[in-house]
Amino acid sequence: MTAVSIERVLLLALATFLVAVPWLVPAMVNDFWVSVVAEILIWSLLAASVNLLFGYIGLLSFGQALYFGFGMYGVAIGVDAFHLSFWPAFALGVVAAMAMALVTGIFAVRLTWHYFAIITVVFSLIFYFLALSNKWLTGGDDGINFTLPPTFDTFGFHHSFTDPTFQYFFILAVAALCLLVMYRLVASPLGKAFLAIRDNDVRASLIGLNVYLLRLTAFVMAGFLAGVAGALFAFFGRYASATYMFYHVSGEAVVWAIVGGAGTLLGPLVGTALFIIVREVVSTHWEHHSLIVGVVAILVVIVAPRGVIGIWDDWMARLAAGGDDAPSGAIELRTEP
Amino acid sequence: MTEPVLRTENLTKRFGGLAAVNDLSFSLASARLHAIIGPNGAGKTTLFNLVSGLVTPDNGRVFFHGHEITGLKPHRISRLGVKRTLQIKSVFPRLSVAENLWITVRGGRGFLNPFRFAASDRATAEKVDRTLTQIGLAPLAHRQAGTLSYGDVALLEIGMAVISEPRLLLLDEPTCGMSPAETSRAVEKIRELARSIDIVIIEHDMEVVFEIAHDITVMAQGGILASGSPREIAADERVREAYLGREEDEDYVEEAAHASA
Repeated sequence: MTAVSIERVLLLALATFLVAVPWLVPAMVNDFWVSVVAEILIWSLLAASVNLLFGYIGLLSFGQALYFGFGMYGVAIGVDAFHLSFWPAFALGVVAAMAMALVTGIFAVRLTWHYFAIITVVFSLIFYFLALSNKWLTGGDDGINFTLPPTFDTFGFHHSFTDPTFQYFFILAVAALCLLVMYRLVASPLGKAFLAIRDNDVRASLIGLNVYLLRLTAFVMAGFLAGVAGALFAFFGRYASATYMFYHVSGEAVVWAIVGGAGTLLGPLVGTALFIIVREVVSTHWEHHSLIVGVVAILVVIVAPRGVIGIWDDWMARLAAGGDDAPSGAIELRTEP
Repeated sequence: MTEPVLRTENLTKRFGGLAAVNDLSFSLASARLHAIIGPNGAGKTTLFNLVSGLVTPDNGRVFFHGHEITGLKPHRISRLGVKRTLQIKSVFPRLSVAENLWITVRGGRGFLNPFRFAASDRATAEKVDRTLTQIGLAPLAHRQAGTLSYGDVALLEIGMAVISEPRLLLLDEPTCGMSPAETSRAVEKIRELARSIDIVIIEHDMEVVFEIAHDITVMAQGGILASGSPREIAADERVREAYLGREEDEDYVEEAAHASA
């Protein structure tokens, strides 16, 4: 089999598996693992948000949990305080996250590399402590619990997240849609401009790209992905809490994205799946499961800086090179500025 | 006489106490291939940075075809038609050769539509194909630019300069680090470009400079030391001093290396 057909078969297998999860997984393990897969899909969107910035435009953010938190609180406050139904609350969460990304991005994307990383952490810490202290609005540590509104309640459709199968498919559909949008974006003229800025921002400005505006655009798009993840997670857990805005959450998303493979479409999903599965399996037996996270993260960064997907691409390239001796571009490149 | 392509008025840029470019006023006539030479630290690259907007001047003004461009952002100056290359070869290493050219075309104009496929832009794709053939990189179109040999990167740089349709092209040491064969290929290309584009070139290789330049400006310590035709510059006593007076000067060593090559 050629490299391309192996990848096609695997992608098809992955898609089939994801669609079959509500029946396959309870039969293989138990019902609990269906919600683990749903959770992986949600968190993979936060990792995708990190990936859009780091992998596609070259900005390493350690503050994406802030926009995840705004997505969560948008939904929770929307439902709990404003009595919004499902879709308006969903929209409120996503718009709140994007608006926050716009406001903070105006300052943050003036900076790059460690300065950018630091300012994103600072922004997320500021709002984390604000959320903790403004209990009247956010519920602080306890968070906000809310009653789940139905997702569809028109034309005779009655569906809500109380039905685990519907909940799973809704999350799968949203995650798949986001992945499709990412795929289209990367292949679009705008995506090419992002990649050019990632590779060489000075050169990008000299060919006429407005680097600041494009970085801000990417930052708001990343805010969108994090916001969608946060909004989904709020509906999934029926609550919102300031703890999800802590930079520990941002840091985990960075690890997931980098271990999975930054700058690849499926990298964030692979990385997120790997770590959440390890956590779920190990945490029941051993409380120090985060040690594994640390060791794996360090190993991957040293041994395979392009992550799991990078290792895979190298294998496929070697396989393809077996047929003809053309170099396949699988050569490691510096990504420093 | 028509408006000069490029004109500076009392241009000054200081880094700390050092005036990298010091009260520089000059103007470049159209349709001439202009070379700027000078010892290291003379302020040549800083001058390019000032013109292309990468640094803003402390004092003075820059005019392009009579329009003031002082203090504009690099992408705005680029969109007016002032394109440049960087001293250290500088492409987009993880993009393919074709993508490098593609984004160079689209970077300067039009809406970067996120809802269309880049591949559906036929006009740009055809332009990229033509340029690939023109610079002889068509067989390497899908190679990552970061995996190219030094000479091929230099060709790609020239391709990017051509495809961006500049009105003024600033080349910063385009033949630096090239083999003699690569140099002569690049020189040929630059000469061909100069027929339709105004070019300013910074170059350390005196053979190249005296071979292709119509006018030469010699810079030293942030100012202009001399300016004139290659013949006049070659005969200028001050220029000889600036170049040959200091025996440890890197340029001198480099020149000697070229002479013996």
